[in-house]
Amino acid sequence: MDTFMIVVESIIIGALVGFGVGAGAARMFHAPNVQGMGAFRTFGELNACAGDPISHFSFGLGFLFNSWASVVGAGALTQDVEHRILPNWAAAVLLSKNKNVEETLHNPKKMAFAGAAVGAVVVTLLNSTAAAIPVSMQLVATEVLVPAANWLINPIMPIVFWMAAIDAGQRTGLWGTVLGGLSHLIMGNAVPGIVLGILIGKGVDDSGWNRLTKTMVTAVVLLFVLSGFFRGFDAALLHSIDVDVPQWLIDLHKFFGSVVK
Amino acid sequence: METTNQQTKGFWYSEWAFPLFVAFLSAGIFAGTHLYYVYRVGAFNDIAVVAMLEAGLKGGSFGAAAAFGASFLFARVLEGPLVGILDIGGSLQTGVGIGIPAMLLGAGITAPLTSFPLALLTGAGLGLLIGGVIILIRKFTINSANSTFGADVMMGAGNAAGRYLGPLIVISAIMASIPVGIGATIGAAVFYYYKKPIAGGAILGAMLLGAIFPIATQ
Repeated sequence: MDTFMIVVESIIIGALVGFGVGAGAARMFHAPNVQGMGAFRTFGELNACAGDPISHFSFGLGFLFNSWASVVGAGALTQDVEHRILPNWAAAVLLSKNKNVEETLHNPKKMAFAGAAVGAVVVTLLNSTAAAIPVSMQLVATEVLVPAANWLINPIMPIVFWMAAIDAGQRTGLWGTVLGGLSHLIMGNAVPGIVLGILIGKGVDDSGWNRLTKTMVTAVVLLFVLSGFFRGFDAALLHSIDVDVPQWLIDLHKFFGSVVK
Repeated sequence: METTNQQTKGFWYSEWAFPLFVAFLSAGIFAGTHLYYVYRVGAFNDIAVVAMLEAGLKGGSFGAAAAFGASFLFARVLEGPLVGILDIGGSLQTGVGIGIPAMLLGAGITAPLTSFPLALLTGAGLGLLIGGVIILIRKFTINSANSTFGADVMMGAGNAAGRYLGPLIVISAIMASIPVGIGATIGAAVFYYYKKPIAGGAILGAMLLGAIFPIATQ
């Protein structure tokens, strides 16, 4: 029964996702005049396959193996499904009939429908095979993949993003360092803060302190204050410097449904 | 970007069609998270990110997943209209697929994740909203800003971080048990030889030998 529900829902989910990915990917070829959707690496990889259906297909196939292992191990499809497999296989399907990329890969309508068909098949295949995996293999996945993924989130990703921020210039390095540290304190991971630091640093580098960059800084400060409050960082900070948390602060937290000591 | 003489008129190229495409995609992604919530399969994200949601489901604290997802969504929605490409991974897969569900679960709201139709509706609504905001920002900024806000830097870092996963899996496998470690090492080497991502080979190799020689549980 579970498998049946997974198959039915996967077909619907795959078709919806494939439709959006296909249309978004084709629109990328008309950016920035038309708002596209995908990623720069997806765009670059689609261009790298140069409209050759075999290249598009095998590029997607490589990542299908990766995704399959990941979905079997952890139930996660990996971002490659939407960034690589679906757009490249949709392109491969269309290009096998017509090699002219302007009429196929760059056409949002054709890519949307090809994407929907490919999505329904790929997502269903990945999700339904994962359900039939023996316990011993699931155990390997949790014992091997979970620690590896945890190391990747912390400390590898923070360090890699931090270095990238520092290498990108003094302003991004400074904003990345400050927001990264604060983000690790408040949110438990430095990456979101470093990403925002790069965003602000590069924005100011390229276009100066205008209304847009000032609005961004305001929004970032607000984001930090709010997430700090909702994660109880204010109370934890007071505790760690041996200051009693005032009653009004406890009441304020209670008002928003969170409990602090 | 290289095609300027092509016709870009009509529904499929229009600004207002964009929120619709985002709605389709978001509905699918949010429903994928529903599938994960109910059956532990089908979340549209990398293991590392789904692991954050899993940590919330196991331990009850959704803070990390919520904050991580929300800040990615925020950053990508700002960046998307400026560069003309909305990053699906950060905005929709991580923001809509992980961050928003984590916030809902953290607040004790489970209905959009237990019910498939409700998941589709919630996702579609969020997608319309996000697509609409992007088109709005586009209207106000497309002519005033000529910055990519470091999108290239973040993308470079994202790709660089991804490369670490393969070696990490091999090391983790070796620490799990000797046969699993040998399997991961051989798998990684074979995939490397055939110019495939070594993470995939390491996982398949570890699982193959792990199925023959199961890891002892204490």
